[in-house]
Amino acid sequence: MLTAAMSESMTDTTTAEVAAATDAALARSAAAGDAGAFESIYRRHAGRVHGVIVRLVGAHGVRAEDLTQEAFVRAWQALPKFRFESAVSTWLHRLAVTTALMELRSRRGGPRFDEDEDALDGLGVADSAGNGTALSMDLERAVATLPPRARAVLVLHDVEGWKHEEIANELGMAVGSSKAQLHRARQLLRGRLGGEA
Amino acid sequence: MNTHNDDVYDDGAQTDEALRWQLRGLRRDLEPQADLWPGIAARIAAVPRQAAATGKPRARRFAPWAMAASVLLAVGVVWQMMPAVKPQAPAGNPMIRQQAVSMALDYERAFARLQQQANTHPEMHGAFGELDRSAAQILSAIDDDPNATFLLEQLRRTYARRLQLTQRAVMT
Repeated sequence: MLTAAMSESMTDTTTAEVAAATDAALARSAAAGDAGAFESIYRRHAGRVHGVIVRLVGAHGVRAEDLTQEAFVRAWQALPKFRFESAVSTWLHRLAVTTALMELRSRRGGPRFDEDEDALDGLGVADSAGNGTALSMDLERAVATLPPRARAVLVLHDVEGWKHEEIANELGMAVGSSKAQLHRARQLLRGRLGGEA
Repeated sequence: MNTHNDDVYDDGAQTDEALRWQLRGLRRDLEPQADLWPGIAARIAAVPRQAAATGKPRARRFAPWAMAASVLLAVGVVWQMMPAVKPQAPAGNPMIRQQAVSMALDYERAFARLQQQANTHPEMHGAFGELDRSAAQILSAIDDDPNATFLLEQLRRTYARRLQLTQRAVMT
């Protein structure tokens, strides 16, 4: 059984490595100007890139699709300088995050990215007993309704698995601010879920 | 990857841990509802790219040449010394995949070191692209059929040709 499990695990690992090697070959071809290879990269990674963008901007639809398109255009432009020091998928994922965050910063209307402190204070965080907005809202929708900066920190840390140091660097904030934002975002989220989570 | 142990504001409650697990479950792929490729293709065709690399080829002529020769030698020796895959490998044996991955990684490292100099020769990009696309297709085929030993040899030939061309671009 152990041998079978090891063999299966090894096969899974090597499958991932073959995918990474395939990505690298396609990326090198695309870097040299092969749009067909870049289309293959798009087909292989559109779901992952679009997924993280949707989570960060808190919305499906045209806006998220525009950002996904923008992320791939930026990837095409940046590919000639890509040094292959990380996996193509990791590089694309980070580029998608940067693209979404830039849009959130420049967005007009709605709560501004840099004004989350006020937005959080104004929204009124529910207490731990869940006496706030006790709506039966699913988790994805609840995350989507968080103020932009709190949502970004929560998504990057709790969903995408980033460290506070990485988040602070990407968002241009202190590590302590990232931790504080995460704490407040979780509190707010629990309140919106009515203490069910 | 965080481990959830780096939080100053760790609430410690069971509900908080449950919430984190549920949040981690949100990490999934979401395909765009529309096919975005036509729009991307139109934009990348219209937008000029920045120059791939800037260098001083005359002043640094010897260094890349020497590096290209050493890299070619290193990769070539490694892959000539690798034991041949037995033609009748048992079904599901990951040996071919593993060898393909090792080969790809060795060559990727070699290309990463040489490609910046090679990119200064745009006339070679077509040939590079064709060989890279072939390598990607062979890797995919190996992934689909890990018992096809002939694909490993095809991959080796493709990478060797690619490295040879890269070396030529670097030296001229």
